Amino acid sequence: MSLEPGKQLLGGPLAVVHLGLDNLIDGARAAGAPVHVVDFVPPARGDRALAACLRSLLMPPLAAAIDAANQAALERILASQPHLVGVGVARDVVPGMAADLFLHAGPPITWDRMAGPLRGAVVGGLLLEGRAGTPAEAEGLAASGAVRFEPCHHHAAVGPMAGLITPSMPVWILEDRGPDGVGRRTFCTLNEGLGNVLRYGAYGDEVLTRLRFIADTLAPLLARTLERRGPIDLKSLVGQALQMGDEGHNRNRAATSLLFRELAPALVSAGPGVDVVRALDFIHRNDHFFLNLSMPMAKCMLLAAEGQPRSSLVTVMARNGTDFGIQLASTPGRWFVGPAQPVKGLYFPGFTERDAGLDLGDSAITETAGLGACAMAAAPAIVQFVGGSAEDALATTREMGRITVGRNPAFAVPALGFAGTPTGIDVRRVLELNLLPVINTGIAHREPGVGQVGAGLTHPPWECFAAALRALGESCNDMARSNPGPRL
Amino acid sequence: MAERIVVHRGSYRDSAFLMRVTRELKASAGVAEAVVLMGTPMNLELLGRAGFATAAESGAGPLDLVVALRADEAAALDVAEAEVGRLLQGGGANGDGASGGAQGAAASGGAGRSRRLRSLPEATALHPDARLVSVSVPGEYAAFVAHRALDAGRHVFLFSNNVDLDDEIALKRRGREAGLLVMGPDCGTAIIAGVGLGFANRVPRGPVGIVGASGTGIQEVSSLLAGMDVGVSHAIGTGSRDLSAEVGGVMTEMGLRLLADDPATTVLVLVAKHPAADVAATMHTVLRSLGKPAVVRYLGKPPRESEGSVHYAADLDETAQRAAALAGARVEVERQPEATSPSGPTRRFIGLFGGGSLAAEAEVIFRHHGLGATVPDHPLAATVPLEGSGHLIVDTGEDFYTVGKPHPMVDQTVRCALLEAAAADPAVSLILIDLVLGDGAHLDPAPEIVAALAAGRTRRGNDKFACVASVCGTPRDPQDARRQRAVLVEGGVMVMRSAAQAARTCALGLNAASHT
Repeated sequence: MSLEPGKQLLGGPLAVVHLGLDNLIDGARAAGAPVHVVDFVPPARGDRALAACLRSLLMPPLAAAIDAANQAALERILASQPHLVGVGVARDVVPGMAADLFLHAGPPITWDRMAGPLRGAVVGGLLLEGRAGTPAEAEGLAASGAVRFEPCHHHAAVGPMAGLITPSMPVWILEDRGPDGVGRRTFCTLNEGLGNVLRYGAYGDEVLTRLRFIADTLAPLLARTLERRGPIDLKSLVGQALQMGDEGHNRNRAATSLLFRELAPALVSAGPGVDVVRALDFIHRNDHFFLNLSMPMAKCMLLAAEGQPRSSLVTVMARNGTDFGIQLASTPGRWFVGPAQPVKGLYFPGFTERDAGLDLGDSAITETAGLGACAMAAAPAIVQFVGGSAEDALATTREMGRITVGRNPAFAVPALGFAGTPTGIDVRRVLELNLLPVINTGIAHREPGVGQVGAGLTHPPWECFAAALRALGESCNDMARSNPGPRL
Repeated sequence: MAERIVVHRGSYRDSAFLMRVTRELKASAGVAEAVVLMGTPMNLELLGRAGFATAAESGAGPLDLVVALRADEAAALDVAEAEVGRLLQGGGANGDGASGGAQGAAASGGAGRSRRLRSLPEATALHPDARLVSVSVPGEYAAFVAHRALDAGRHVFLFSNNVDLDDEIALKRRGREAGLLVMGPDCGTAIIAGVGLGFANRVPRGPVGIVGASGTGIQEVSSLLAGMDVGVSHAIGTGSRDLSAEVGGVMTEMGLRLLADDPATTVLVLVAKHPAADVAATMHTVLRSLGKPAVVRYLGKPPRESEGSVHYAADLDETAQRAAALAGARVEVERQPEATSPSGPTRRFIGLFGGGSLAAEAEVIFRHHGLGATVPDHPLAATVPLEGSGHLIVDTGEDFYTVGKPHPMVDQTVRCALLEAAAADPAVSLILIDLVLGDGAHLDPAPEIVAALAAGRTRRGNDKFACVASVCGTPRDPQDARRQRAVLVEGGVMVMRSAAQAARTCALGLNAASHT
């Protein structure tokens, strides 16, 4: 027993941090001691068993081991250098892709539990692949088990909203060119634009025609373009876009423009002229064209952190419209699932929240990697979706800083003195502070075939984080048990 | 009779706020019963037992505020429900506006008030100079918070009670290993470097260092010392269970060693209740080895034999006097004021205490004088006549009086009702009370005591009883002990210098009366 800390205490002057009943600290105030009052809220939402588990993960030496693991995971995220290297067809390039396999957003789900927008996208996918002639036939086929469904995340891929990837779809190919990135590739389809689109569950002729244009014209042209110009460093491009008002999830206008500049010269020479005009016009008209690159970029960064033992850092947040699932760096591939949440936001004319489906898509991978709501301070325009102010945007980024492991200097935010965006959600902090991540997202119509009806903000369900914490607690039991604490 | 359960989701509030809302709702017209609490499993069960059968199905969780209302008609429920909404709107997440009384109002929102922080880790990171974390959150969350304070390398003042013994042992092990004080759980009082924590009296700084497992014990000794112009260097609280066999006196020993090492401290005082025999033996060895004279009072038991530098006192009064003498103060040992004992035929004696330790001390003094007094193990009803026939010593701070209610040191409602009943009861001839002043306590208790006595006297129709009191406090306390004593004397109360003296006066008076 050292007396030194106690001697320092008795040596005064006394300053106090206080939690609890206010009248019990009035005396210290009256005596002139500085009193710093904490607004106490029960940890882990007052769940005693969960709080006990959390406490074991916050106690030394386990806490230090987890902190070190998280720091290592974060460093690997920061060291990754995702580059756009090409465009290919899913069946040829996506690992594990098969002719009877459809990939979808979020954690695993069966047809009978799929939400409207995802069902609509599956129907559209079957029509696109020529497996069905009518929507009714497609639904029958999907229900019959003729195609298998697996999460994009099981195949190093991500997809916005429904996130459907069918075998014939073209996909962006990203590669980690960082020092430890060897062979790490991620994939995502090309963004279709706004309005009636497959990712929101629409499958009309207009949708399928556009998808065919992407597959037959745009993708091959972009593939040739990238062959000519070489890889594009996406992290530095996103870094620039954040300084131009993007947050990499709901606002991709700057990044799309920068990508346009990067692609245009080589694209023009990749001809033919009529396709070039259509391609450039298509990219120009779609402010979200870059979303389908910011997502696989985020996935590429986070893949680098997977497999870090004891880490409590979140590497996946994804939704399929029914369930919301997260994964931890320490247990790659293991889903912790809760119910998908409603989205609070603004609706397009003619729609209300009664039309809205639940939270959907793999795009929360951007928040997982320190973009989206974590980078909200860079994109004050985004908060208008919920009637907020520019100050709210700053506040959101600061709030996310309370539950993240560190900052990403590559994503500097001018309004915060060029501080990096908060990166690497620590499930322990979410539980201790009762503070869920914020997610910027679009809102799909609840019925298949309609499309996007608005955009706004939401949170993951609490249950995912509670389940992830419990699992981490179990996996760290060996260390918690081997340290019974000092003997009396 | 109409009934309603209202759940406000995600509206965590502290118990001071909940009690205030409960009080205001009960006072609103037509409301027969109102309970406001957080929706922990235990609280929902409590509501079920209180007849709110639907509480369990409300789906409320620990962060949800639950309002249970019963009224003659639905309209009154509507009014009450709207009132809750209004109260929830005002004030911050916890304290702001939640602390009742003028003191709370003056303290909240003041310009000098520090900015509120939202979590302990963030607060300690921001304030590395704050070496102490003071915790009075509900017991079920207290161990978590205390561990987080230790994580950050801070000492802990843990006022919260109802903390599991295992948690207390784990916390104190960690604290001792890191050289950090864990004062509590259930630590009512501490004074560190001249700053009072919890319920503490404003006493001068001086040579006496106190370690105490009893909050009121520390308060009584430090106030009595102040009355003799002897100051306190530090008073280190340990929580009531520290000297149990299970906890083993970890923090008592650490506190004593710190004070032995402290250059400002020349005399040690140890005040504790119920020491385990082997722990008492260990402490004796520790005390003998510290090189400073020590005065020990183990509450609720006659003193052990003094040995060398370790003096065992018979009561808290003697403890303070011996410590003052050892500190070099000139102490005039007074004679017991037998002459002022109340006279008259022996009938019932009723002691109504706010401080549990003072109640236990009164019992020892009674036993010493050959008097028996019953300590009820259930809430005493404020009926005339009072139940039973023998002498009673009642601690109105017992858990069964305070569930969902403030401690009698803060809110005297329960005690004043019993006091009025005792004064009205023709079988009662002698009443003993204690007033414990200081920060955190009721701001002006004496007038309420006097009013309750007067009301009882009126009901009785005569004044054939006496009331003896002690006032634990100093003139610098927010209540001003001199003024409180004056109000009591004015109201016909015989005010003694200490709790021990008050109890002795009663014992002697009862014995004298039975001999005449």
